[in-house]
Amino acid sequence: MALPHAWRAARVTPLGELHTPPRMTAALLRLAVQVVLVASLWHGLYAHTSTTAGMSRDQAVTYAVLAVLASRLRELDQYAARDTVIQHMHFGTIVYWYLRPLSPQRYYALRALGEQLYGLVWALAGYAVCLAAEVVDPPRSAAVAGVFALSLLLGQWILYYVMLAIDQLCFFTLRNNAAMLILIFAQNLLSGVYAPLWFFPDWFVTMSGFLPFQATLSVPLSLYVGRIPLSDAGAALLLQAAWVAALALFTRLVWRLAARQVISQGG
Amino acid sequence: MKAVRLAWRITRLNFRAQLEYRSEFLMMVAIGAVWQVSVIVFATVLLTRFSGMGGWDSSDVLLIPATRMLAHALFVLFLGRMHGIGYFIQEGKIDVCLVRPMPVHLQVQLRMFPTNAIGDLTVAVGLMVAALGRSHLDWTTGRISYLVAAVLGGMLLEAALFTAVASAALRFPAADYWGGWLEELLGTFGSYPLNVLPKAVGGLLTYGLPLAFVAYFPAAVLTGHGHSTGAPYWLAAASPLLGLLAYLGSRLLWRWSLSHYTGVNG
Repeated sequence: MALPHAWRAARVTPLGELHTPPRMTAALLRLAVQVVLVASLWHGLYAHTSTTAGMSRDQAVTYAVLAVLASRLRELDQYAARDTVIQHMHFGTIVYWYLRPLSPQRYYALRALGEQLYGLVWALAGYAVCLAAEVVDPPRSAAVAGVFALSLLLGQWILYYVMLAIDQLCFFTLRNNAAMLILIFAQNLLSGVYAPLWFFPDWFVTMSGFLPFQATLSVPLSLYVGRIPLSDAGAALLLQAAWVAALALFTRLVWRLAARQVISQGG
Repeated sequence: MKAVRLAWRITRLNFRAQLEYRSEFLMMVAIGAVWQVSVIVFATVLLTRFSGMGGWDSSDVLLIPATRMLAHALFVLFLGRMHGIGYFIQEGKIDVCLVRPMPVHLQVQLRMFPTNAIGDLTVAVGLMVAALGRSHLDWTTGRISYLVAAVLGGMLLEAALFTAVASAALRFPAADYWGGWLEELLGTFGSYPLNVLPKAVGGLLTYGLPLAFVAYFPAAVLTGHGHSTGAPYWLAAASPLLGLLAYLGSRLLWRWSLSHYTGVNG
């Protein structure tokens, strides 16, 4: 019985997207243009050099394009679904999350799972096209592909908890717009979406090592392009798993504290 | 004069409303700053790792993000409420504006105070000062005047693009999605020489989406790269004027779209 319920909750976002063809067309066009622009930019930057910061042109292009594709995993117009925590807080409907036979944390996790699986379909389709067009290099071996897949899974898991923590902030501050924007900025900068972290100064790379963001994207992509050798993959995966565990514990605690903040009809 | 006084009073009230959530207010100021810093970091990393970007000296390149950022910060402060208007329209709030004795466009611009503009403007001014300090150019009155015109033209061009998207949102609220993309493109590809890109892609960002006119062309004209942009020199030099014309055109489009707007009840 639990599985059909889970399926119903998880498919809300994908179904919502599938019923809005203009949004899907826009997403397709946006993804295609972004991939072309990013690939062109990195090809152009490497026009007069073959290797920079230890990264060859093919590695840099592959890294940058995969970063664009990976960003599709959570790039949904969540406001359009009218089911974000901040919207529920604003309209007072968050209380319904606590009246259902499904716990808020379970419901939130299922919705996020549906979103990320939907995004994964986009990312995989984009990856297949880029691979066929030789925009990105294939993984160097089956072992690299396997480790990358595992690392990407852990990275998305970490990202889920980070997003959850920001949403949970609404229970205490009512608004999280600014926090969300700061998070997107930190995620893009510190996970290597803007540019691979290998290009940044050493102090920057060291600092990002203490934060969870690099574990969401930089680690899996570095494994893919070979900047992190397979011999070091164990340590990298372990670090990602540690972030998953730490953030799971933290957000679990916050869910409990958040429940005490919810009031209905003025208390 | 009465309209200006009214606008000033509404802005003051909006500012006080933003102060209601203090932590949110401070974070919004911070986000404006850090968002701009991210552009600086990206540009700096690229300049450090790839010297002679597109044949431009790094001090010349710096003038591009500085011009774009200052134009963007002024856009956010004065004309930025057109961005993200989709939900305003979707929730029927635009209908309320239609029955008030004030132009709808002005009401939309006055609907909230853009707190993040404080951060945006602070960093943008800082970057412009740094860019001018590092520049080897002789800053004559003519060059300074052109730079001021370029910043204002960039502001108007950005406003024109978002006004066009807002006009589309009056008919298709989902068009707001394109606004987010537009912001991303302007932030990512508006801050360095576009001649680093293949000609077709550079052409797309010039004639398809006029991103090159915001900062790249004016900076090219100022730094002596005006003849190597791939576009006619006169066109690159006319960027500030094009910004003004584009904005006027977008306001006409907005007026036309508004006259054809129908709410949920027809």
